[in-house]
Amino acid sequence: MSSSDLIEIVIASGKGGVGKSTIAASLAIILRNSGYRVTAIDADAEAPNLHLVLGIDRWDRVIEYHEGRIGSIRDDKCIYCGYCYDSCAFNAVEEKDGKYIINPWICEGCFTCSFVCPVKAISFKYNVLAGHIRIAYKTPYKFPLVSSKIKPGRPNSGKLVTEAKNLGRSISGGKGVIIVDAAAGIGCQVIASLAGSHMAILVAEPTPASFSDLRRIHKITKHFGIPSALIVNKYDLNKVFVQEIMRYAEKENIELLGLLPYDHAVPRSMAINKPVIYAYPNSSVVKSIIETSNKLLAILRNWENWKLKHIPEKIEPFIPIIIKPGS
Amino acid sequence: MSTKIAFTTNKGGLDDKIAERLGRAQTFTVVEVDDEGNVLSVEIVENPGARAASGAGIRAVQKLVDMKVDIVVGPNPGPNAYMALQQANIKLYVLPGLTVKDALDKILIEL
Repeated sequence: MSSSDLIEIVIASGKGGVGKSTIAASLAIILRNSGYRVTAIDADAEAPNLHLVLGIDRWDRVIEYHEGRIGSIRDDKCIYCGYCYDSCAFNAVEEKDGKYIINPWICEGCFTCSFVCPVKAISFKYNVLAGHIRIAYKTPYKFPLVSSKIKPGRPNSGKLVTEAKNLGRSISGGKGVIIVDAAAGIGCQVIASLAGSHMAILVAEPTPASFSDLRRIHKITKHFGIPSALIVNKYDLNKVFVQEIMRYAEKENIELLGLLPYDHAVPRSMAINKPVIYAYPNSSVVKSIIETSNKLLAILRNWENWKLKHIPEKIEPFIPIIIKPGS
Repeated sequence: MSTKIAFTTNKGGLDDKIAERLGRAQTFTVVEVDDEGNVLSVEIVENPGARAASGAGIRAVQKLVDMKVDIVVGPNPGPNAYMALQQANIKLYVLPGLTVKDALDKILIEL
């Protein structure tokens, strides 16, 4: 499979609330309507909402995702010495009615309690239900949606996102375009979303916070050698600051795909669970989204050339911080 | 003297392709070559990073360090894996998409 058979595009931003899901949904619909085979993946496992933006409320398949471990104390073996209670770094061991129990919501599965337990009364339950991967094969938009969802309280998981992505790739049949709606931030889940992908569309709004997060997420895309493009959302809220973001993009060889205006059509369409391009097709934001998509379509038609021109030159060198004792 | 070269792979073996992920590649195909470039052994080992919820890059590199690998061939690694490779003094060749065999030929020319 050559890379041009399948192009995986990740929508990421660092900062939350800048419009990743709205943009991901719009791009997926427009690419599909332009004849591309499209697969959409919601890789924001902690707060998945691409299906809400698309108004999808039923799933054809739900796969359980198991991982991690939780300790428990066997009451018949416990001698109530309290070593586990004293040693748990997370305070997950609780004393209740003279007994020690492990709070499963707090336990990290680190094994410390089982190391210190003199009578081996602590056992671990493995592969705890930690989340779900949900698939809608048939949607009104004629593309499938794969959505990852972590259980509240379970740790942030790059593995869940990786599995959702792998599933999406196999559903795509190795053809067309995959649109990945990444989580906010630059953590494990986002790294998993970006790793192995072919293009990043970074979304920013004209605020110092968003600009700062844009530079942080761009460090990661450069790290993975992923060519990047930029969409500035709500650009008209601060047209002066937009210039600064555009200067950065130019300096860093990030192609500007488009500027989207602030438009009440977006929150209104979200309130009725309908993609903005269908709910308000004549709004100013939709006009800009279509212009932006046309630019993306031109990139896809000229993919190999564009990729070569925008691939980051080399990985930023890592400079270790060495802290000497006493300094 | 021999050199140990680890390729990031999924199924593993000389005919498999270099995986697109380093930390989360299913396996490493570890090839040992002597100074003349003769292949002494080919071994497929499981990558513990593939199963990890988080910290995949670090776990993968730890495995490479434990196996005393000199060179790793794969995609661009994540930030943590990259840092760990640098600190462990493991050389990295970025050659995604090639088969292990083709990548090995390329590297043997450079060595």
